[in-house]
Amino acid sequence: MPISCSICDGKAILKRPKTGDALCKECFYYAFEEEIHKTIIDAKLFTSGETVAIGASGGKDSTVLAYTMKELNQRYNYGLDLVLLSVDEGITGYRDDSLETVKRNQIQYDLPLKIVSYEDLYGWSMDSIVKQIGLKNNCTFCGVFRRQALDRGAMMMKVDKIVTGHNADDIAETVIMNVLRGDIGRLRRCTAITTGTDGALPRCKPFKYTYEKEIVMYAYFKKLDYFSTECIYSPNAYRGFARAYIKDVEKIRPSAIIDIIHSGESLSVKKDVRLPVQGTCERCGYMSSNPVCKACVLLEGLNRGLPRLGIGKTHKERRKADEAEKAKKAAENLNSEDQKSCDNSSDQSNNRTCVSSCQCSTDISKLTLNSKPDVSKLDF
Amino acid sequence: MCSIQEGDIENPIKKDKTEKSKVCMKCGGEAVLITRINDPLCRDCFMVYTTHKFRAAIGKSKIIRDGETVLVGFSGGQASSCLLQLIKDGLSERAHKKLRFKPSLLFIDEGAAIDMSAEERLDSCQKILQVMAKSGFPCHIRSLEEAMDSSFITTDSSKDSLASTELPDLDEQSQGQRSKNDLDTDRPKPAEKPKTNGLPIDKDFKEKCIHYDESEIKLKELLKSLKSVTAKEDLIKSLRYNILIDTARKHSHTKVMTGDCSTRLSVRLLSDISQGKGAHVAMETGFADKRLDDITVVRPIRDFSSKEVTLHNVLNDVESVFIPTLTTKAPQNTSIEHLTESFITGLQADYGSTVMNIMRTGEKLNTEILDSTEQQCIICHAPLDTSTGIASALNAVEFSQKISRKNDDKLSPECCGEGDGSCNTKSGRLNKEEALSTLCYGCRLMVKDLSDVNKLPEYIQRDITNRVNRSKMKADIQDYLLADD
Repeated sequence: MPISCSICDGKAILKRPKTGDALCKECFYYAFEEEIHKTIIDAKLFTSGETVAIGASGGKDSTVLAYTMKELNQRYNYGLDLVLLSVDEGITGYRDDSLETVKRNQIQYDLPLKIVSYEDLYGWSMDSIVKQIGLKNNCTFCGVFRRQALDRGAMMMKVDKIVTGHNADDIAETVIMNVLRGDIGRLRRCTAITTGTDGALPRCKPFKYTYEKEIVMYAYFKKLDYFSTECIYSPNAYRGFARAYIKDVEKIRPSAIIDIIHSGESLSVKKDVRLPVQGTCERCGYMSSNPVCKACVLLEGLNRGLPRLGIGKTHKERRKADEAEKAKKAAENLNSEDQKSCDNSSDQSNNRTCVSSCQCSTDISKLTLNSKPDVSKLDF
Repeated sequence: MCSIQEGDIENPIKKDKTEKSKVCMKCGGEAVLITRINDPLCRDCFMVYTTHKFRAAIGKSKIIRDGETVLVGFSGGQASSCLLQLIKDGLSERAHKKLRFKPSLLFIDEGAAIDMSAEERLDSCQKILQVMAKSGFPCHIRSLEEAMDSSFITTDSSKDSLASTELPDLDEQSQGQRSKNDLDTDRPKPAEKPKTNGLPIDKDFKEKCIHYDESEIKLKELLKSLKSVTAKEDLIKSLRYNILIDTARKHSHTKVMTGDCSTRLSVRLLSDISQGKGAHVAMETGFADKRLDDITVVRPIRDFSSKEVTLHNVLNDVESVFIPTLTTKAPQNTSIEHLTESFITGLQADYGSTVMNIMRTGEKLNTEILDSTEQQCIICHAPLDTSTGIASALNAVEFSQKISRKNDDKLSPECCGEGDGSCNTKSGRLNKEEALSTLCYGCRLMVKDLSDVNKLPEYIQRDITNRVNRSKMKADIQDYLLADD
C-alpha cells in the first residue's frame, strides 16, 4: 500500500529528512519554499527596492538559491533586483566547468551575471598559486581570497546585499569546527543569519535552516541544472572531520543539525572574555581583526616569493622574511657605491606589497606578471 | 562543491611524531611518561604535578569551606577512583597542607538500566563497597530506580516540609568502618576471597532489591518506551544526578564532587551541543555547577586528561572497578554521546590539543542563571532556553513540523471530545504538549522520544503538573499583576 502524503493524502514519494514526514512532490516544494520564505520574513533579511547579489558557484546550493529567490521574489513581491555574482578562482578543470553552469543559469533564470576572477583582483589564479605553494595549504588562499572577491564584485555591481547558499549543515559544521578550535569569536558570529552589518556589505543566508539533503532533493525533483564535482585541489582535512561528525550525528538523530544551530544561537560568552575587535586593514581598507588583513598578508607572501608568510604562525615567517630583508639590505649597502641603479629596482619590488585594493588591481597584476619576485634573492 | 570558508586557516596542527625525550623536564631525572603534548616527567614530578593540579583547582575556587562535608560521587571507574585517591592523599597526615573538608562517598547502582541480574548487581556493589570501605570514609549505596519511587522528591526539602517518610537509604557508615577493619587485618586478595564473604551489606542489599522491585520494573518500562539510546542515556544521566542531589540534601551536604576528567567533559560539551543544550554547556562542564540554590556540584579533576588519570592510577596502584554501561561494546553510532566520544578520542590521537581546545571553548562560555525557578527546566533544572526570538532555530523547526503535516485541529486521542475546554478525561494524566512547555530544548528532545509522558518518574510528573497549574493560575490573574522590573 502506497504511503500517503501527510499534507494532501496524495501519493507520497519522499520522506522529509528534516521532520521524517512522508510527502508528495508538490507538498514538498510547498513546505520547502514556505520555510525559506518564513526565514526571510522572520529575520527581515530584505527591504523592498534593494539590489541583491546571489553568490553563484554553480553548485547545488547556489543553484537552488537562485531558483527559489527568483520564485519567491515574484510570488511574494519582495521587490528585489536580483543579480548573479560568481568568483572565478582560476582552477582549470573545475571552476571553468562550473562557471559554464552559472552561465546557463543566467539564461534560464534571466538574471544579470558578473564574474570576478582572482587573476584580475589579485594577479594570481589558484592554478598559479598552487604552482608556488603546492597542494598543501592552497585552500587557505582560496578561502581568504574568495570572501573579499565576492565583496569586491558586489561593490562593482553596486548591490545592497549578498545572499549565499550556506545551508543548515554548513552552519552546524562551522559551529562544531569552532568549538574544536576554541575560536570563540567565530563561534559567536557563525550562527548569525546576517553578517557584516556594520560598514561592510551585509551577507545573509536564507538557507540557514534548510537541510542540505532537502536542497539536493529539491534540485533533483525540479531537475535543476547544477554542477557537482569536488575541487581538484585537496580539500581542507580538518573541516572534513567536522563534516563527517555532523553526518554521523544526523543519522542518529535527524534533528541534530537544527539542534546544533540552536545550541550555537543560545551560547552566551562570558563578559570578561576578550573578543577580537573588528577593524579595517591598513593596506586595503577591508574589514579585518588584525592591522593588516589576511588577504594582504597572503598576497604579500606570494609576491615576495614567501608563500608561507600568512600560513600558520605568522610571526615566525614574518621574522624570517624580515631577516632576509635585512641581510639583503646589508648586502646592497656594501655594493651600493658601484651599483646605484640596481638599488632602485629592488626598492621598487619591496614596496610592491599591497596589491589588493580595487583601484590599483589591474596595474599591479601587470607589474606582478612582468616581474615575478626574485626568489633566489629572498629565499634562504 | 568547495565548502572552505574564511576562517578555516587556523586549524590545529597535526601531532608530530618527534623523537621523545627520556629526561624529566622538571628534575632532569629519568622520565617514565609523557604528559600533555610532549612533556616527559619522572614519577615523582608527575605526582607533584597532579597533586598540585587537584589542590589548585579546589583552592582557587574557594568554594569548599573548612570542615565542610562533601558528597563524592563514586562510580568505580578510573576517574572517580583517581579522585578518591587524591582526596585520600590530601587528607592523610603526611600531606603538606591537609585538605580541610570531610568526604562521604556515594555509589549509584545502575544495574537495572542495563538489565543486570540481581546477583550481578550484588556482585558489583560488593566490589565497589570494598574499594570505598578501604578509604575509611562514610559510604552510601543507592540504586537508580529509587528515583522512580513515588516517594522520591527532588525539590529542596527546606522548602517542602511535607517530605515523605525517609527512604530506607542504605547508610553504610558503620558497616563501612567495620569492613575496613576486616580488610585491614587479613588483607585478602580479591581472587582468594569467597564470593559472599559475609559483608554486612549482603542482607540489607537483598532486602532493598525486593523493596525496589516495583520501581525497577517502572524504570525498565520507562527506558523501553524511549526509542533512542541517546535519550536513554540522557534520562539515566538525569536520574543519576537527582539521586546525587537527593542524597546530598538528606545528609545536609551542600557540595557534591564528581570525578569528571577533561576528556569526559569535552565529550559532554560537544555532545551537549549536538543535542541542543548549547546554553547549558558552561554549567555542565565548568568547575562549579551552581544551577541549584542549595547544592553546588564541583569537578576538581576537570583539568586531568583521561591519560593523566590512568597514569596516576597505574603509578599508584589505584584500584578501580569496571561496570558496563548502556553503550559498552556497542557500535559507535549507537548514541550521540557514544559517537562523540569516539570522534573526540580519534581526533585527540592525531591532534593532541583537541580536548584542550574544546575545554578552552567551554571556559569562555557562560550560562546565565535566572533567579526564578519558574524559568528552570523541570528535568535538568537548567535555565530555560526556549524563549528565543522569532527568527530562531526553535521557531524554524516548529514551523517545519507544522507545515509538513495536515492542519489537524483534531483533539488528542485522550480527550473526551467535548472540544469546548470542559474536557475531563485528561485529569490526572499528563498532556505531552503541556509537559514540553516546562522543559528546556534539550530535555524536550528526550521527552519527544518518549511514547507516553505518563511513564516519566513520578517526581518529574508531579513537578510538571505543579508548574503547569501555576502558570495557568498566573495567566488567570495576569491582568492584576504589576510588572516587576
